[in-house]
Amino acid sequence: MKKFSHLAIPYIVWSLIMLLLPMLLLVLYAFTETGNDIVTFSFTLKYFKKFFTDPDFLLVLWRSLKIAFKTTVICIFLAYPVAYFIANSSDKLRNILVLAITLPMWINMLVRTYAWIGLLSDGGILQRLLEMLGFGTHKLLYTEGAVLLGMVYNFIPFMILQINTSLCKMDKSLKEASFDLGANRVQTFFKVTLPLSLPGVVSGISLVFLPAVSSFFIPKLLGGGQYFLIGNIIENQFITVGEWNFGSAISMIMAVIMMCSMYLVRRIEDRVSGNKKEETARK
Amino acid sequence: MEEKKLIQFRNIVMNFDDNQLVLKGINLDINENEFVTLLGPSGCGKTTLLRILGGFLEPTEGTVIFDGEDITKLPPHKRELNTVFQKYALFPHMNVYQNIAFGLKIKKMSADVIEQKVMKMLKLIGLEGYENKNVTLLSGGQQQRVAIARALVNEPKVLLLDEPLGALDLKLRKEMQYELKRIQQEVGITFIFVTHDQEEALTMSDKIVIMKDGEIQQIGTPQDIYNEPINRYVADFVGESNIISGRMPEDYKVVFDDTTFECVDHDFDPNEPVDIIIRPEDIDIVKPGEGKLTGEVLSVLFKGMHYEVVVETVPGTSVTVNMRVIKNNEVTSGDGKEKISANDFFVDIEDVKLLDDKEIIARADAQAWLPDKDEYISINKIEYDIKEEIGEYPVTFFTSSGTMIQKSIYVVNQPFVKNVKANEAVSAFNFFKTVDELRESVALDTDLKTWANAQGWKISDENESVDISVDYDFDPDEIKEGVYKVTFWTTGREFKIRTTDYVEEGIEVGLDFFPEDIHVMKKMEG
Repeated sequence: MKKFSHLAIPYIVWSLIMLLLPMLLLVLYAFTETGNDIVTFSFTLKYFKKFFTDPDFLLVLWRSLKIAFKTTVICIFLAYPVAYFIANSSDKLRNILVLAITLPMWINMLVRTYAWIGLLSDGGILQRLLEMLGFGTHKLLYTEGAVLLGMVYNFIPFMILQINTSLCKMDKSLKEASFDLGANRVQTFFKVTLPLSLPGVVSGISLVFLPAVSSFFIPKLLGGGQYFLIGNIIENQFITVGEWNFGSAISMIMAVIMMCSMYLVRRIEDRVSGNKKEETARK
Repeated sequence: MEEKKLIQFRNIVMNFDDNQLVLKGINLDINENEFVTLLGPSGCGKTTLLRILGGFLEPTEGTVIFDGEDITKLPPHKRELNTVFQKYALFPHMNVYQNIAFGLKIKKMSADVIEQKVMKMLKLIGLEGYENKNVTLLSGGQQQRVAIARALVNEPKVLLLDEPLGALDLKLRKEMQYELKRIQQEVGITFIFVTHDQEEALTMSDKIVIMKDGEIQQIGTPQDIYNEPINRYVADFVGESNIISGRMPEDYKVVFDDTTFECVDHDFDPNEPVDIIIRPEDIDIVKPGEGKLTGEVLSVLFKGMHYEVVVETVPGTSVTVNMRVIKNNEVTSGDGKEKISANDFFVDIEDVKLLDDKEIIARADAQAWLPDKDEYISINKIEYDIKEEIGEYPVTFFTSSGTMIQKSIYVVNQPFVKNVKANEAVSAFNFFKTVDELRESVALDTDLKTWANAQGWKISDENESVDISVDYDFDPDEIKEGVYKVTFWTTGREFKIRTTDYVEEGIEVGLDFFPEDIHVMKKMEG
């Protein structure tokens, strides 16, 4: 085993240079003044102050969290039945379905989002369809609904796959035991299957909520610049405005918010699935 | 005592999707308050039968009747029976109390009734004070008990147990055997227990059902099954036994190994071929000449409570051949780039017609190679002229570039050794080998058998082969040119005997047993 551990060295070097170093730079930028050179740093908290005192920024932050939350909730409710169906299919069908879920991910996310512009645009297929069905003419593109749709569409495969994995890993005899003890299908689902699949839901949440809260090109393309999210602000600070330090500070704030929310979700999961480990450990 | 039939399997056939016939028409009645064991090797269909009863599988054909009602199509949650699963299947997200209370909560019993019942169960299984423990942190034996309690708390009429002791270590398994029997007697319900462990079955059951390949072989009490097995399969599966082929010339007489013995069995056809078993503990070792059989003690094994002695009453069959070891059998080509080697070999006159190029290359072990590159090359031509007459015939092997080696094939009339008493024959041939081939052999016994073409078979049926062992008196690492004797032999009639008295290996002893110790069974079909 020792010999093989050497194989990890290139990866460790890679992570140091490509992951850790940029992160440290980001932290450095967030806490220093614009226009520093390597020798003279002057530390400051003014960018954090700027963010938290400007109601516009806080509104965008609130909006981002809200839409990410909506995306996640919609994903859970759409993904769970699909994952449940896949997990209970025969091996052959399951492989085909999992492939079908992963297949769109082979195509670039940007391309897929552009495709939605075509579908949602004024005079596009969906608008026409709604007209024909008598729902009247609605503006579809550049609305919150369009952004939400784009996010759910892009991130739902992660949720399905995570839940499916946790359902497949579950020992089939647990369900049999539940039937055996007199529970019908519905009771078995709520008392056994659902609680035991929660870890999958939780990892699905982290895979959907995190990218949703910080995504910038989906709101940009489907929200048409009118629907500004926190990711767009960060992008602007780096690319348009050139305020790298402020952009870094916002990124830091986002990172802390996400860490907190993940911690919260995990705590909730422990509660719901009735994890008694601590209790036993105390005895 | 009139016992009530609680469960009736009527002609149960199970045919899985891939056309595997797992159950071939099972008919079985199970009474109230019985401890019934389904015993058989893995794949015999015992678990499938249990799952059909549990409601997890629907049989292809047949009906399951429970307490007078047809329950074949009833879903599992409506059946009045509970299962203890192979790997317990405890709910990992619930503690001990919640696991046991699961079935009662489903039935919407009031909290105080549930608590009373769960506490009673915890007492029954000896896990009081464990109610708040995490089930995943319990030991295997404790998980087992919780699984039993979780099933029993629902007060089922029948408890199904699917190899529940398989995952436990030996000592714990023994404890749980007594524990299960005690629980069954205490709660007084029917237990249906599936296992492949014959000892478990004998210890706990009121009734044993022995299964093989989807069919029931025998149903009976442990005593019936052990003392009166219906065929050699059952005898072999339950307990240890000496199983001998023989025949019944008339009632109360049985013949094996050319000797007639008195027995208590009757009602067989005259001279019907039968299987005979004598249990190892039913044979006594006496002075030579005093018993019914005489033999030589081959081995004595100490087994703790007793010795296991193996006595050979009919010697095996043996044949000794000459192995001629030569120094070198290689020929090097003119330019020194190729080498070729082969051995002389003997062939039986009757086998001459079977010889073709491939067979001759194999028997002569002909090889060619490039010594520089250490690479094998093919022998692409062989020339020979052989007749079905005794004599020596030349054979020449060539490589594609013309390197050649000439050897001889000796056609002989090889007699085989017949042993009528043991119903065996053995044959082997003299052979030639080089010093290197012997030294390089990694499995010499097997190689010697191949080189000598050693074979053993039953005289009564030439297609039934007999295992052969090999003996030689040389050290393969130190071997030099010369002629060596190699002996191929079969084991004769051996009896396994269980005794508390020590006997010495190698001495002659008599074996004695009573007529009622001989149990005669019909031959199995197929």
